[in-house]
Amino acid sequence: MEIPFIVNARKDTGLFNSKVGIWLFLASEVTLFGGLFSGYLFLRLYADYPWPERALPVLPGLINTFILIGSSVTVVFAWAALKMREWAKFQIYMGITLVCAFLFLGLKAVEYNAKLHHQAVRLTGDGSVQDFGYLEGHVHYAKLVDDKLVEVTKEEKKENDKKDDPEHIFAANKIIFKATELSFVLKRPAHEAYVKEILEQAGEDHTIILVDDYRVLDVDELHEGQKSRVELLKGERALVIKGGEALSIEILDDMEDAFLDARAHDKDIRTEFSRASWRWVRDEKGIKDIGNLVITKDYWKERMAEDAAKIAPLMLIDSGIKSAPGSVTFKIDPPLTLVMDPSDIPKITEDPTLGDTIRFRDDTTVKGKLLPSPMLMGIDAIDFRHTAMRAEIEGIDPLDAIKESWILTHTDSHGGNDLKKAWDCHMAWLKIETKRLLDKSDKKGRKKGDELVPTENDKYRINWDQMVAYEKLKYDPEAVVAAIEDKTLYHTSLFDLSGFAGANHTAHHFPHVEIPREKVGFTSTFTPKWNTYYAIYFTITGLHGLHVIGGIVVLGYYMFFGRKMYDSNPEWLANRVEIGGLFWHFVDLVWIFLFPILYLM
Amino acid sequence: MADSIEEIKKKKKLYLFIGLFLFFFTGITVAVATVEWLDFGGHGFDGVDATIGLIIAGFKASLVMFIFMHLNHEKPWVYFLYGLGLVMAFFCMWLIGWSKSDPIQYGNSEKADGFYNPEKPTTNVHGHDD
Repeated sequence: MEIPFIVNARKDTGLFNSKVGIWLFLASEVTLFGGLFSGYLFLRLYADYPWPERALPVLPGLINTFILIGSSVTVVFAWAALKMREWAKFQIYMGITLVCAFLFLGLKAVEYNAKLHHQAVRLTGDGSVQDFGYLEGHVHYAKLVDDKLVEVTKEEKKENDKKDDPEHIFAANKIIFKATELSFVLKRPAHEAYVKEILEQAGEDHTIILVDDYRVLDVDELHEGQKSRVELLKGERALVIKGGEALSIEILDDMEDAFLDARAHDKDIRTEFSRASWRWVRDEKGIKDIGNLVITKDYWKERMAEDAAKIAPLMLIDSGIKSAPGSVTFKIDPPLTLVMDPSDIPKITEDPTLGDTIRFRDDTTVKGKLLPSPMLMGIDAIDFRHTAMRAEIEGIDPLDAIKESWILTHTDSHGGNDLKKAWDCHMAWLKIETKRLLDKSDKKGRKKGDELVPTENDKYRINWDQMVAYEKLKYDPEAVVAAIEDKTLYHTSLFDLSGFAGANHTAHHFPHVEIPREKVGFTSTFTPKWNTYYAIYFTITGLHGLHVIGGIVVLGYYMFFGRKMYDSNPEWLANRVEIGGLFWHFVDLVWIFLFPILYLM
Repeated sequence: MADSIEEIKKKKKLYLFIGLFLFFFTGITVAVATVEWLDFGGHGFDGVDATIGLIIAGFKASLVMFIFMHLNHEKPWVYFLYGLGLVMAFFCMWLIGWSKSDPIQYGNSEKADGFYNPEKPTTNVHGHDD
C-alpha cells in the first residue's frame, strides 16, 4: 500500500503529513522548555541564598554553542544536497552534523564530570551569621593509621590501587566510629548492604556475635497449652538463632522472618477479635450504624477488656518474657573502627557517660566512640555572600561578621590558616578595585549614588582563578598590591585551558583545610542536591542532552540507512531529512537561550 | 521555500552567511558579559546585561526559526501553532510574576527579611498576624 502525502502536500494543510507532525511536536516542545525556563525564573527570583551568578566556566558552553550553530548549517546543507540529488555531499554534511553532535555530548560529559568531582561545604555552628560560609574544592584522600586520619596524595592512591592487597584509602569525607555493639531492627528487613559493608570492614580480625538467643514461642506448642509460656520459650522449638552465632545476612534473615511471621500471626488474631466485637455490637446491641460513639460506651470498654485478656495468652510477641523481640544486638570484639559515608548516617548522638551512638538509614544503631572525622579538602573558592546577606539582615557589618567566621579564625593542624591569607589578599585586591571603579565613575561623570561599585561576587567571594593568582604570590597581600600596580596579577582568561571545566587541582595547589565534622552543616558535589541552581541546570541541560541523543538517532538513521529510500524516491528522503533538520534546529534554538541564561547570567 | 536547484544554490550562501552571523553574535553575547568596556549598566552582571543577552539570544533564535527552519515560507496555521506554544510558555512565566503579588509574606520581623521561619507566624500585607 502506498503511504499518501509523503512527498506532495495535502490540499487542506498545504504541507506533507510528516511536516504537520513535526510542527505539532515542536509546538509542544516550546511549551515544555518554556515551562522549564519558567521554573528557572521562579527558582532564581525566589532563591533565599546567593544565586550562583556566572558560576559555570564559559569556554565549554561557548564551544558547544559554536558546535550546535555549525551543525545547524551542515544539516541544512545536507538537506540541500539531497534536493540537488548529491548523495555523496549529503553523507559528508550529515556526517559533520553527527560529529558535531557527539562533540557536544563529549563536552557536556566533561562539564558534568567536573561538577560530580567538585565538592561544596556549607559550614554550620550555633546559627549566628558568622556560620553561613561556604567552601568549595576537592576532597583529598586519606587512610586510617592507629584510628587517625592520615592524608594520602593522589599518586600514593594510584600506587595503592595497583597493589594486589591494597590498603583502604578513601575520600576524606567519612564518619570514623569505634564500634563495640550493633543493634538491628527486625521490622525493617533491609540490612543487607550495611551488613556486607560492616563484615567487609571487620575482615577476619574481629568477631561480631549475637549476644542473646533469639527465641519465638512456637505457635503449635502454645496452642497445645501443656506448658507455661516461660517454659515454652526456654524449649528447643522456640529457638530461632542461638546466642554466640556470628553475624551474617542469613541469620539476620532467619530472625527477621521469625519476627515478621509472629507479628503477622498476632495481627491476624487481633483482627479476628476485633471483627467479632463489631459483629457483637451490631447483632447483640442492635446498632446498625456503628460510629465512633460506640467506643465511648461502657459495654464496649468492658468487651475490649475481655478481648485483651483473651488475646494476651495467644500472642507470640511478648515483651514480658522476651519472645520475638523487635531488635537484636551483636557484640564486636575487639572494637571495630568503622569508616562510613556521612549520607548513610542520619543521626549521631554523642554522650560522654553512656557512650556515642550512630544510626544508619535502616535504623541500625551502633554504639561506641565517635573518632575525629574531619573533611580534608583543597579549597579553590571561598564564598561569604550568604554570611554577608545574613549580616545585612541582622544589621551587622558583613566584613566584621566575615572576620569572625570559623573560616578565617581557625588554626590548621600545621599551625596556620591559608584561607585567612587568601582572604587578606582578596581584601587588598578589593580595596584597589573599589578605588579603580570610583575613579572610573568620576571619569564617566557618574552622579553620586550611581557610581560603579564592586559586585557581591567581587566583595564576598574568592573564585578559583583569584585563588590561583594569590597562591602564585604566596598569599602575600603586599605582593598582590604590587602585582596590581605592575598589571601582572594573573586572573585566568576566558581561554585558559588549565581551568577548562572548573578549578584544576592537578595543575594548582590550593589551600588545604581540615573541617571538623561538627562544622560541616551540609556537603555535596555540585549536583542537584547542592542547590536549586544545579537542580535546574541538570534538569534543563539533561533534557536538552537527551534531545541531542534523539537527534543523533534520527539523523544517523537517514545517513546510514537512507540509501534505499533515496534510490526509490529521493524527494521522500529529502522531506524526511527536512523534518529531522527541523528538530535539530529546535535543539540549537533551545541552546541559544540556555547558553546565556546558565553560563553568562 | 526554495525548491528549484538554482534557488537552493542561492539559499546555501544565505545559510552560510546566517551561520557566520550567529557565530558573530554569540561572540558579542560573551563579550558583553565578560569584557569590561562592553559592560553596560553597572559594574558586573545586572538587569541591563540580562536584557541585552536575552535580546541577542532572541534575535539569534529568530534567525534560526525563520531561515534555517524556513518559518518565513510556512503556512499561517504553522505560525498559529508555534505561536500557541510560545503563548503557553510565556503564560508559565507570567504565572511566576503573578505569584510575586501573593500578599502573604514570610517572617514577621520589622525588617520583613522574607525568609521562611517556621517559628514565626506569617503576616499579611497589612502586618497583622494571620
